[in-house]
Amino acid sequence: MSRRIAVLVFPGTNSEEETVRLLRDCGGDAHLVHWSGAALLPSFDAYVLPGGFAYEDRIRAGAIAAHDEMMDHVIAGAELGKLVLGVCNGAQILLEAGLVPGTGPVRHPTAAFTRNGPVAHFVCTHVHVKLSVKPGRSPITAALAPEAVIPAWAANAEGRLAAQENHLAELRNGDHIAFVYAHEKGNVDPTATPNQSALGVAGLVNRSGNVLALMPHPERDAWTFNHPDKRRGDDMLAPSGGAALFRSFVAGVQRS
Amino acid sequence: MPEVAGVALRDDELARIRERLGREPSVVEVHAFDAQWSEHCSYKSSRHLLKKLPTTSERVILGPAEDSGILHLGEFNGERYGIVIAHESHNHPSQVVPFEGAATGIGGIVRDVLCMGAHVIAVADPLRFGRIDDLHSHQRYVAQGVVDGISAYGNAIGVPNIAGDVYFDERFDDNCLVNVVAMGIVREAEVIHSYAPQGADGWDIVLVGKATDASGFGGASFSSLTLDSADEDSNKGAVQVPDPFLKSVLMRASYHAFEFLRKQGLSVAFKDLGAGGIMGCSAEIASAGGYGASIDLDAVNVAIEGMRPEVVAVGETQERLLWVVPPEITPELLRIYNDLFTLPDIAYNARAVKIGTVTAEKRYVLRHRGEVVMDVDIAFLTGSIRDELPFHDIPAPAGTAERSLVTGVQLDELIERVLAHPDVCSRAPLYRRYDTVVRGRTVIPRGAAGAGVLAPVWGSPLGVALAVAGNPRYSRIDVRLAAEHAVYEAVRKVVAVGARPIGLTDCLNFGNPRKPEHYSELVAAIDGLARAAKNFETPFVSGNVSLYNESASGRAIPASPVVACVGAIDDIANVVTMPLKAAGSVLYMVGRPQTALGSSVLLDVLGRSDEHLPRIDYEAILAQHTLMYEASQAGLLRSAHAIGNGGLAAAACEMAFAALAEGHAPVGVRIDDSWQWTQGRVGNLEAYFGEAGGFVVEVAAADVEAFESLAAQADYIHEIGVTLDRPVLAIDDDAFDLHHLRDIWYAPLREVYP
Repeated sequence: MSRRIAVLVFPGTNSEEETVRLLRDCGGDAHLVHWSGAALLPSFDAYVLPGGFAYEDRIRAGAIAAHDEMMDHVIAGAELGKLVLGVCNGAQILLEAGLVPGTGPVRHPTAAFTRNGPVAHFVCTHVHVKLSVKPGRSPITAALAPEAVIPAWAANAEGRLAAQENHLAELRNGDHIAFVYAHEKGNVDPTATPNQSALGVAGLVNRSGNVLALMPHPERDAWTFNHPDKRRGDDMLAPSGGAALFRSFVAGVQRS
Repeated sequence: MPEVAGVALRDDELARIRERLGREPSVVEVHAFDAQWSEHCSYKSSRHLLKKLPTTSERVILGPAEDSGILHLGEFNGERYGIVIAHESHNHPSQVVPFEGAATGIGGIVRDVLCMGAHVIAVADPLRFGRIDDLHSHQRYVAQGVVDGISAYGNAIGVPNIAGDVYFDERFDDNCLVNVVAMGIVREAEVIHSYAPQGADGWDIVLVGKATDASGFGGASFSSLTLDSADEDSNKGAVQVPDPFLKSVLMRASYHAFEFLRKQGLSVAFKDLGAGGIMGCSAEIASAGGYGASIDLDAVNVAIEGMRPEVVAVGETQERLLWVVPPEITPELLRIYNDLFTLPDIAYNARAVKIGTVTAEKRYVLRHRGEVVMDVDIAFLTGSIRDELPFHDIPAPAGTAERSLVTGVQLDELIERVLAHPDVCSRAPLYRRYDTVVRGRTVIPRGAAGAGVLAPVWGSPLGVALAVAGNPRYSRIDVRLAAEHAVYEAVRKVVAVGARPIGLTDCLNFGNPRKPEHYSELVAAIDGLARAAKNFETPFVSGNVSLYNESASGRAIPASPVVACVGAIDDIANVVTMPLKAAGSVLYMVGRPQTALGSSVLLDVLGRSDEHLPRIDYEAILAQHTLMYEASQAGLLRSAHAIGNGGLAAAACEMAFAALAEGHAPVGVRIDDSWQWTQGRVGNLEAYFGEAGGFVVEVAAADVEAFESLAAQADYIHEIGVTLDRPVLAIDDDAFDLHHLRDIWYAPLREVYP
């Protein structure tokens, strides 16, 4: 039986349409679930939290949504080993809920994606992220090549990873740093990071590997026509580029 | 006659109302007519002029009659798709409270597109600000607040900002311009109109959205008066309060309602609440269908109890829309908004609620606490009124420029000054604050061309391009020709990406029309717009006028006709972007350099003036545009860019800067001494910095023969140079470092938008 993926829509979520379309184009059986349908969530096999401004980013990004009824079901599913992917605001919610990095108790965050540096305002810019764990570290990244470089758009005001030194050390030592910002060819230096994120972190994975939080949006550079360097003659409507991560996620869900 | 404060109705208009009613109007009625007969709602001094604009073509599905116009984009899988487009200004509110004013501008225009049954796919923002140097901290505050407001609202609702432009000029010191364009996609068979359809007698009028409060009371007449800084505090109350969070939910609930209605196969009406609030919207939606309406103000969901009836009736609380549906549909519509999308949980007392009924009797009746507080002939309330205002003909300046410009300033310094000019320097620090790629449909994002391009239909190769234009410096010399140039520039930017221009919208920003010098400018500008639109066969399908852009001191803005152009793309595989692609290509200028340098950036940096604008030779330009289209379809253009502010030199630099990305081999530019390709018809400075239009295009060496054979059909195609394998701009014998030039170009707006 086909594994069903729920794409969660909180009040204020705004990237659900491209997310659900991309999951389907990558072979996933994906469906939108709105907040008033939270009770449907336990019947799904995997969860994707798309970008946006859930609950208006009140208090701070992700703070209210992390306590929404929908998250009770996501947390319960994550504890059962279901795969969970959060992008941008979805990533912020996963961190607020304490699912990622998951080094403390659930709902006890030890790191946050918070206000960008050096100037704290919204920045929309094209980036690349590089897989910095072994692909097999997480079922979500298992189908990616080692050190895969994926194009994406950073589009947020709160995308800078911040944590205390001891917690940052835990992230490094516990192999939680799933993606770092990189240049297109894979070289990593501070100029690749658009927001002064600690350790150049773009994405984190939890201890057991089934929950991944990624700040930039691969789904916005995920069809050939999205690519800045598309060439005439390419199949413009084919999933490519950022679709690699979603394809790997769908493969992981189908294996689970 | 009741004493009513804060009303812009004139004595003669009040007398007309009194005579027609045969009695004194009630306070509610005075406010209703004040809103409905304001320039903002009635276009009383501009409507008859706007009739001169061409509004029809095979592409036009809906011309300027409702909240938005609709253009046919193309067909996919047997469905016809339309592009919904609307254009508006939020100038006065943005000058008073920049953040909220600009945010509600986006909010309002998005509703205009949404209410046609469309999904909103893009916004664009033409902005005009005053000086932003250190001596003008208030003007800088306005310029920053406006961008932050657009960013906060557009980003939150998840609509990408794909095009825009910005100018800085001292004549906008007291009145900024914040124009907003929104675009949507709709299946043509599923367009929802803004009028009660046939058979709507007895149908329900359903209000959806934010609880009505006292914000935005008097907004329509506020925007139809000149700004007085002494009244700034009281004006602030006339500005509405934006709520993008609620709007985001409202949009999604409405998309769900569209699906439901599509399955029912029902024809209903849907309309945005803008100027004139509940009264304006319900009167227009009923009247446009040939009906009357009866509204119970006590049924309205309010944020504060005990508001006066005129505030509930004409206040302009944001984030509200109005449906007209058969009564049997109402329960499901209410369920979608209130239960499925839980509006009452999203914002205080937000909801969908039935507030009235469409009536066969053509009266407009408002009840409050059981009493009738308004009862008028609906056609009299919403019908067209017209102000006859004096104007004179503005003659075009005589003659043409003949002599070539001579200056002692070195070429490298000229290039640096031009690139650092506020009208040329990089816009990236500004648009980086906008979400330009949400929805995942972006084909060409901001910064990669003069027009933004989207693939609006899932699974389809159809594309749509959008660009805006309107150079306020030009209208100083010749407002008619300036308006033609606004159309030409918007069209040109769309042509540069390989799209076919199919239609236009405009926003006409002018000073007080009761002063003949400003009204005459409006008359001349519309004349120019009409002439250009006819020549390019691009009809106007929607638009907006914003008059009274003048401060109490009598300082008016420069006449500012602003134009947006929609382009159709059959296959997004054929789009052309701006960044240079490879060394060894041949560069061409498509277009004719002219001697006229009036209002150019070059003259501005030299502190000179000239009374001649470039002329527009439509026949030659149309042939050039045909060439551009055919060359793009044949895949002969590696890159292309429309020439505008700063001329050929600035255009070539922008193409090269965009290619300086990390990890890519740099591509430089060599431009031959212009004498070689103009044969001395114009001087070097006119050739490099003239703003007569045209394009710079990059053609691979292997494609030169094919391109030149296509080019034989058009005049004024010049081979101007080649691309290089090192990051330099070489002109004749000089060579300048592109990284250095890019830093100069990028720095100025970074100061304002760090």
